[in-house]
Amino acid sequence: MRAEVLEMALIAGVLTYLWRYLPLRADLRKLDRDGPFARFLAATGPAAIAMLFVAEMMPLLHVTAPQQERAGVGVLAVLLVYLWRRSVVLATLAGAAACGGAAALGLS
Amino acid sequence: MRRERSPVVAGLQAAVPLVLGYFPIAFSFGVAATRNGLSGVEAFALSVIVFAGSAQFLAIPLIAGGAPVVVAGLTLAAMNLRHAIYGPTLLQKAGAAGARRHGWIWAFTLTDEVFAAALGALSKGQRFSEGFMLVLGACAYVSWLAGTAAGAWAGGGALEGWPALSAGLDFMLPALFLALLMSILSGAQVPVVALAGAATLAGTWWLSGTAGVLSGMIAGAVAGVLLPQPQVRHAR
Repeated sequence: MRAEVLEMALIAGVLTYLWRYLPLRADLRKLDRDGPFARFLAATGPAAIAMLFVAEMMPLLHVTAPQQERAGVGVLAVLLVYLWRRSVVLATLAGAAACGGAAALGLS
Repeated sequence: MRRERSPVVAGLQAAVPLVLGYFPIAFSFGVAATRNGLSGVEAFALSVIVFAGSAQFLAIPLIAGGAPVVVAGLTLAAMNLRHAIYGPTLLQKAGAAGARRHGWIWAFTLTDEVFAAALGALSKGQRFSEGFMLVLGACAYVSWLAGTAAGAWAGGGALEGWPALSAGLDFMLPALFLALLMSILSGAQVPVVALAGAATLAGTWWLSGTAGVLSGMIAGAVAGVLLPQPQVRHAR
């Protein structure tokens, strides 16, 4: 293993760990739940998940129409199965299976 | 009345979609890394030490392009700065149950996906506990390492003969995020979600992927402060 790869991984890994851990040390139990910081934190979750979904879907803007169509099939499957079963597991699997199935049927 | 499950069972259950989503992505990372000149050991070491998918994918061109070590390391770390908000957000959601005695362990696994899965479970009534976080994070980490090892072992071009499988695996993470989004979505959070999505789209389109990620999170969180959010204010 090259030393420079290890050094780079250590810099990135240690700093990433510190980003994740150090804010945990702040005691938030006395935080005013109606205060702006509490509302900021509460809104961060939905905002982060929405951001991650959009970021994952963005590359689809630059692919072929069939690839966009099979992603659309996958999205539809996730929505329908979630509304039907209210299960994150089943909806995720259904989306991936639908997308793969669409590719197998020629949308690739 | 909701039946209380043990933290281990709850963590394992919440980890199922995460494990299924992580393995193929990590497999793709292992394949891409070895295709671009990294050894299998180097690819695996990145997963062991960094454990952050998007940063690891960015590491591949940085290493292949010969970027200076410190600059590359700081660039990858900067990409993960958004993770700083995840721990406090979970503890705030946990309320009085928000223990952090072993936070130094489970914080290591607080990736985008682990955070999203934990928040989704808490939003559906799961009680926060460090055992739950440890199991959830450990499952994700093992899946990520196993996927990386399998991808590095398979080598470049491993999925080229399997387009349908490749398409399905590629869609696993978007499907997971969409399902998680559905699980926590309520009417009061629609403006937050819409603004975060729109800002991510605009930031990525006009500036860069990193700018899109940061602008999406900031826009959504600021919207939560400025707009009336009854469910946010009374969240446990």
